[in-house]
Amino acid sequence: MIYAAMICMTCILYFVSKKLYKKYPIFLLHPLLLCPILIIAVILPFHVSANQYMSGAAFLTHLLGPATVAFAIPIYKHLPVIKKNMSIILISVTTGTLVAIMSSFALSIAFQLNSNFLISVLPRSITTPIAIEVSKDIGGLPTLTTIFVIFTGIIGGIIGPHVIKVLSIKSPLAKGLALGMSAHGVGTNKAREYGEQEATFSTLAMIFAAFITMIWAKSLIPALIHLTSI
Amino acid sequence: MKILMIALQILFIHVFLYLGAGVKALLGISIPASMIGLFLLFIALCLKIVKIEWVEKGAGWLIAELLLFFVPSAVGIINYDDIFSLQGLETILLIGVSTFIVMGTTAFVADKIFKRKDRETA
Repeated sequence: MIYAAMICMTCILYFVSKKLYKKYPIFLLHPLLLCPILIIAVILPFHVSANQYMSGAAFLTHLLGPATVAFAIPIYKHLPVIKKNMSIILISVTTGTLVAIMSSFALSIAFQLNSNFLISVLPRSITTPIAIEVSKDIGGLPTLTTIFVIFTGIIGGIIGPHVIKVLSIKSPLAKGLALGMSAHGVGTNKAREYGEQEATFSTLAMIFAAFITMIWAKSLIPALIHLTSI
Repeated sequence: MKILMIALQILFIHVFLYLGAGVKALLGISIPASMIGLFLLFIALCLKIVKIEWVEKGAGWLIAELLLFFVPSAVGIINYDDIFSLQGLETILLIGVSTFIVMGTTAFVADKIFKRKDRETA
């Protein structure tokens, strides 16, 4: 009963937030900001804790799994375009993952973040299910990583169109790769507003970024963490 | 009818998620089950074992409503008092700056290679 109520409420508030954001695209109304705030406003008066809510709505979180599997379809559909642009995808996404890890690391040192924050923030630019695995792998806190992944998505979705405009990026390929690389699924969601090609490249960037980051998790990241402990 | 179709297709996509989990357990690798599932479904599509019509609608819905699946975890943020500290604020600033740099570099690199390739083929 409580499960159904939590899921129903989340879906309703989500679709309301989504509609609102479509009509008034200002960042405070982003569905990933507004919807959680609305939910908190609803559950608090009923003395439902965030943990009770999350276990009630766990089915929605679970759907991230099949949603990741579902990305096989756009990849399959756009196979010829991928083959044609394989080198661009690989080079720009490898660069992107390196910049993501190195800049997060450098800024964490500059801000003197504690080691839990420092390690958990490193896999922040990839899609949640894989970021969680990487976080466990490198000794971070998966919950903290999830939060950082979500912040990355919200920020990326908001600044994305501005960055594309300022850098006057014209090709759908570069737009899509940049959005998917920097803001995973949320970036891909944004890329869909530009068009099918942008969405495809964004999806690809997201998937490749996840794979490449898993490789860095076994090589570059342990080396960086080792540096901090000297 | 359309909802039923989407639900059935999502159920079918789960088969690959659990196949992925099986492969993960069997080989003992640290790649997430969903990633292995993605790969298996892709292979099945390429080998024409699975027809695209069987999964297209369900997959389309899952991808279109991706943000919804992040919502419960986003509510969990209030469990983390740490986020509402100076360190938390600094981390959010860090994420903003870093995301900006990553997006800019990726777009720049991709655009440069794309233009060069374009010239070569022209």
